[in-house]
Amino acid sequence: MDETNQIQPLRFRLAKWIMDRRGAVAIAFVLVTLAFAAGFPRVEIRTIFKDLLPLDDPFVQVYNDHPNFGNPLTMSIMVKRKDGSIYNAETLGKVWKLTRDIDLAPGVDHDQIISIATEKLRFAEATPFGIDMRPLMDDHVPSTAEEVSDFKRRIEQSPNARTFYVSGDESATLINATFLDSVEYGEAFDYAQTLIKAAADDQHEIYLAGQPVLTGWVYQLQKQTYKIFGVTLGLLTLALVLYMRNIAGVVTPIVCAAVAAVWGFGFIGWLARPIEPLLMIVPLLLVARTFSHCIQYTERYYEILGHVGDRRKAAEITMGVMMAPSILGIMTDVFGIVFIAIAPIETMYNHALFCGAWALWIIPTGVFLISILLSYLPAPRNLEQIAGGEAKESGIHLFQKRVLQRTARITHGPMARITTAIVVVLSIWSVWQAMQIKIGNPVEGSNLLWEDSEYNTAVRAINGHFPGMNTLEIILEAKQRDPNDRIARTPEVAAVSAQIQAMVEADPVLPPRATLSFTDYAMEGNRLFSGGNPKFLPLDPTVSSVRAAGTAVTFGTNPVNFGHISDFEFQNSTISLWYRDNKQETVDAALASAQRAVDAVGVDHEKFTVRMASGFIALQQAMNNVVTRYHWLILGLVNVAILVISAYAYRSIVAAVILLIPVNLSNFLLMAAMDLLGIGLDINAVIVAVMGVGVGIDYGIYMLSRICEEYTSRGKRWDLAIDAALTTTGKAIMFTATIMLLGILPWYFLSDLKFMADMGLLLVAIMLINMVLSLVVLPLLVWLVKPSFAGREDLIVGESVDLSQYQKAKPDVAPASDLHLAAIK
Amino acid sequence: MHIRKYDFNYGRRELMKKIAVGAGAGVLMPLHEVIAAGKDISKAYPDELMSIEAITKGKVKTGDYITAANVEHVKDLLDPIVYGQIKDMGRKIKIKATERTPTNLFPGQFYEAMQRNNASGTTAKFNADGNVVTHDNKPWVGGLPFPDPKNGLELQANMAMSWGRGDYNQYAIKETDINPDGNVAYNYDLVWAELQTQARMDGKIFRDMKDLLRFQTVYFTSTADVAGSSFLSTWYYDQRKFPELYGYLPQFKRVRQFPTNQRFEPLIPGVTWFLTDPWAAGDPMLTWGEYKIIERKPMLGAYNTTWSGDRPNWEKPVHGGPKGITFYDTEYELAPEVAILESKPVGYPRAPVGRRLAYVDVRNSLYSGNIRFDRQDKPWVSFETGFGQYVNGSKKVVGADGTTPAYSWIYVMSYDCQNKRMSRAAHAEQCFGGYKSIFNGDHEQMYNKFFTQQALQRLGQV
Repeated sequence: MDETNQIQPLRFRLAKWIMDRRGAVAIAFVLVTLAFAAGFPRVEIRTIFKDLLPLDDPFVQVYNDHPNFGNPLTMSIMVKRKDGSIYNAETLGKVWKLTRDIDLAPGVDHDQIISIATEKLRFAEATPFGIDMRPLMDDHVPSTAEEVSDFKRRIEQSPNARTFYVSGDESATLINATFLDSVEYGEAFDYAQTLIKAAADDQHEIYLAGQPVLTGWVYQLQKQTYKIFGVTLGLLTLALVLYMRNIAGVVTPIVCAAVAAVWGFGFIGWLARPIEPLLMIVPLLLVARTFSHCIQYTERYYEILGHVGDRRKAAEITMGVMMAPSILGIMTDVFGIVFIAIAPIETMYNHALFCGAWALWIIPTGVFLISILLSYLPAPRNLEQIAGGEAKESGIHLFQKRVLQRTARITHGPMARITTAIVVVLSIWSVWQAMQIKIGNPVEGSNLLWEDSEYNTAVRAINGHFPGMNTLEIILEAKQRDPNDRIARTPEVAAVSAQIQAMVEADPVLPPRATLSFTDYAMEGNRLFSGGNPKFLPLDPTVSSVRAAGTAVTFGTNPVNFGHISDFEFQNSTISLWYRDNKQETVDAALASAQRAVDAVGVDHEKFTVRMASGFIALQQAMNNVVTRYHWLILGLVNVAILVISAYAYRSIVAAVILLIPVNLSNFLLMAAMDLLGIGLDINAVIVAVMGVGVGIDYGIYMLSRICEEYTSRGKRWDLAIDAALTTTGKAIMFTATIMLLGILPWYFLSDLKFMADMGLLLVAIMLINMVLSLVVLPLLVWLVKPSFAGREDLIVGESVDLSQYQKAKPDVAPASDLHLAAIK
Repeated sequence: MHIRKYDFNYGRRELMKKIAVGAGAGVLMPLHEVIAAGKDISKAYPDELMSIEAITKGKVKTGDYITAANVEHVKDLLDPIVYGQIKDMGRKIKIKATERTPTNLFPGQFYEAMQRNNASGTTAKFNADGNVVTHDNKPWVGGLPFPDPKNGLELQANMAMSWGRGDYNQYAIKETDINPDGNVAYNYDLVWAELQTQARMDGKIFRDMKDLLRFQTVYFTSTADVAGSSFLSTWYYDQRKFPELYGYLPQFKRVRQFPTNQRFEPLIPGVTWFLTDPWAAGDPMLTWGEYKIIERKPMLGAYNTTWSGDRPNWEKPVHGGPKGITFYDTEYELAPEVAILESKPVGYPRAPVGRRLAYVDVRNSLYSGNIRFDRQDKPWVSFETGFGQYVNGSKKVVGADGTTPAYSWIYVMSYDCQNKRMSRAAHAEQCFGGYKSIFNGDHEQMYNKFFTQQALQRLGQV
């Protein structure tokens, strides 16, 4: 070890140690990669819907305690007659056939298929012998005019069928099929889709909705996701080839990204935690980040190689030079991902673990492995076109440089005042506008899919003809389970149900479209068994009367047929309230109305508790609540973490503040733009905002470091330093941003999953805003503040090194006579 | 010294051949002749069809338990649902010796009727409508109509004409329904009473009701929410007609008529079985069709299983499942020849059922396994029934003749393998309300007590 090494900082000593043993380290990388790859068989990529919900939200807890309420396993098929009513042999025949055919769907529960063509919907008539209860439809489809007319009369005598199975305008009817817990959603969905496509014709529209259908769509579209993933990877590689045009420049980023990916997938496989495919855009972002890190690194390697001539030595120097800024940049990426784990959403936690670790793996691959690779790979022939400096760049490299020179002019000197004024006004406006943003981004149906998707269209159609799918469930939860005391069929539950239903139905602000509880069925049973007169609807408040009415409706049928409003044992039950839509005003009013009713009847009763709430409306609110609760907290924590490591790296709080201002301003601008466009703040936007800070700060670090170096080397002239930094590192930032765009933008255009496309669009937007602000606002801030830390020479993020000590190395390439070495002392 | 006359697979080969030619039961000689003669049924079957030890080459012996550890040795002797229960759900089954004495396979009175028919040359046939009649076109007179069933329809007729094989049977039943998590969801105590109007052991027609076959009533005595409720089915002799089904709920004091063709819904909440399931003949015989014996082979089953008369209220211990209460402790024996009878619900355009397989012991034409398949031909519900003599050591319950032991069903385990729910029912000594199991009674008195609409209303006054 020579004298030089003893005075070298640790990072240079580490670089030398590694490069002296590059063969052994390369083998170690191979072994570790194989070890991670062994975790592949345990990798599970699938959407677990309940894991998308915030665990600590009271509504979600109610939902998890009573998952059967709200029909989570029910597919609804709506048959719509375009030119009249359903009361004709052709339409009824179609309903009969669809009902029979859905019984052949994989995983269907044969006990839970209900339509006007099944025996489960019945009508009652008083006869001299008692009450005669018969199926609405006999053993065949009504074919003659008399039969159709009689069938219509029977429907009219069945309040349940009239409300929930035949639309008010008689143009549509529903077939509900519930599936077993063990259902394979993809198979069931494919089957049902084939069925409805075959059933549709000129006179009939057939719609398919329900949670299993949504799951089926998401599964199907996830296959598309893999294709987009492939396309995007191809585009990234193409960009790399076009930009670098040499073997080392192309192979290195690909190998490093691949190794990091193997480690990332293997790690989560070993942890046996599922990967959420809806968030697959983030791993792709990480591939893009690996590419951009590698490009920065490789460009610096070329500069040094041009000077020292020896590949191994150049790789060692590059590692020493780039280690600190690379680790700092990658760590900010890591923070931008892992803080998402604070949100109490299982999927987010798993995602943070998977992607956070993956981002972390870019350190060994993008700092150490890359140097080893570069030292083995042949030296490029186009060194000067890439890193040749003044007058030697061409094509895209030259174009970028010209744009950046013009940009630099507005950040210092006389133009700076105008730019400052514009930035201040923009900042004030963006903060004000961002604060107006609404929480939640409601879509009728599912926010995972586009509004005009087949699924959401079906949901709208069903909501338009029937009470629909926007339910709020108020749960009456039994305190004890006793087979001899079925709480859902007691006078107390009947009374509380009736009171709550009466109160919400009379709500002056927003009455629901329909309400339903087991008490409704019991009352109907009471009426029928008492002779059919509506005056017998109310239940006597006695144990025997309520029990009898309950028995009346449950004898001769399976309890699963009441599974949407009661559990199998008639202990817990729910009061379902249907609302017209899921707009935030509706959600707020519905929850307020329900809460008033619950407050009036009281939460705690002798044998049961009234719990708010489950159903689509409540779960939507839960997602909004988590955004409200965690948005600023997570963003704040990422800011703090980055503030700490930036302050350490630059030995200056001012530096950290200068770095954080542009990225936070980017966030406000994005939120302001979203609000202007009518887009609410949802969980996707939170992920994007946090990643925007973590990933976006990289640009600032590159830029600030370069300004610092140029400031010293250019005679402490701020204007020259900014000009030089923008035309060199600014170019790298632009390329990095381009790479990111290629990685993300296709998702917006190609994905049928709105969730993914939205996230892609928002990420693109924030990365672009970040890029512009780091090229304009950050230099402007430096110009205005003129920070003293820029003159220090002990910054760990400084990328400068004295190359004279390495001049004796054996050249692999002819030493560049005129290399631009602005950053190299 | 025991000399083996036949090679190991001789019996199975012969059973397979019989399917092809539509022959009757028995390998070495016709089984019905052995039974009519009251001889040991080993006269009709070679050793390996009569001994679990022989057929498993010593891997399983009489007295052993079949558990997950050794079930693979007998996989081809079990129906697929029972195999799955043992393999995956902790069920265990004790193996008993194969019953060889014909009189121990039937209620005494029923066996007598068969002997009487044999002696008098009374045989059965299907008339033009498809119903069972005597050779001289009179309504059937009791006993097995087809002692040597050669096809599916004859085998089904043997099970359908007289469920309990007595003129009047009254079963006190304790029914328990178990959730997939192993907890009890529902408990019922009920009385099942059935009165044959024709196909009777006494050869008479009850009250001259020539168009009827039987009355049957289910009357609930517990739990409190259903106590006093009852259902009355009136069965026509013509097996093309659906039975009339009336229900009575005491609080409403009204009789409710149920859809007569609605056979594929649970009668009461929580149970896994439909009206179609009991006796493997829960529906009128001719409302189903395409009866076919698809296989004959030796099988293990709850054929002539052991009665728990030595236990309080005759109730069997339980084991297995998530909470250790899902299955009764049961004993199976090797039946030398089981006919697997396939049938389809051809008379029900909306049936969710594709077909049924009944695993019928040809010695007495009683099933043990009885699996209902869905329309995708996936197994759905197994209505396993254990039949046997009411004798256990010194304990004995006599049948309708007052001398020989009763022979009846002992337990039912109806398992929905798609929803993972179990309904099990014990034929108990008595149920809540003090109703006892009996195998005889004054028919007039019982008719008035159980089988009229007025009777239902009286029963409801609890």
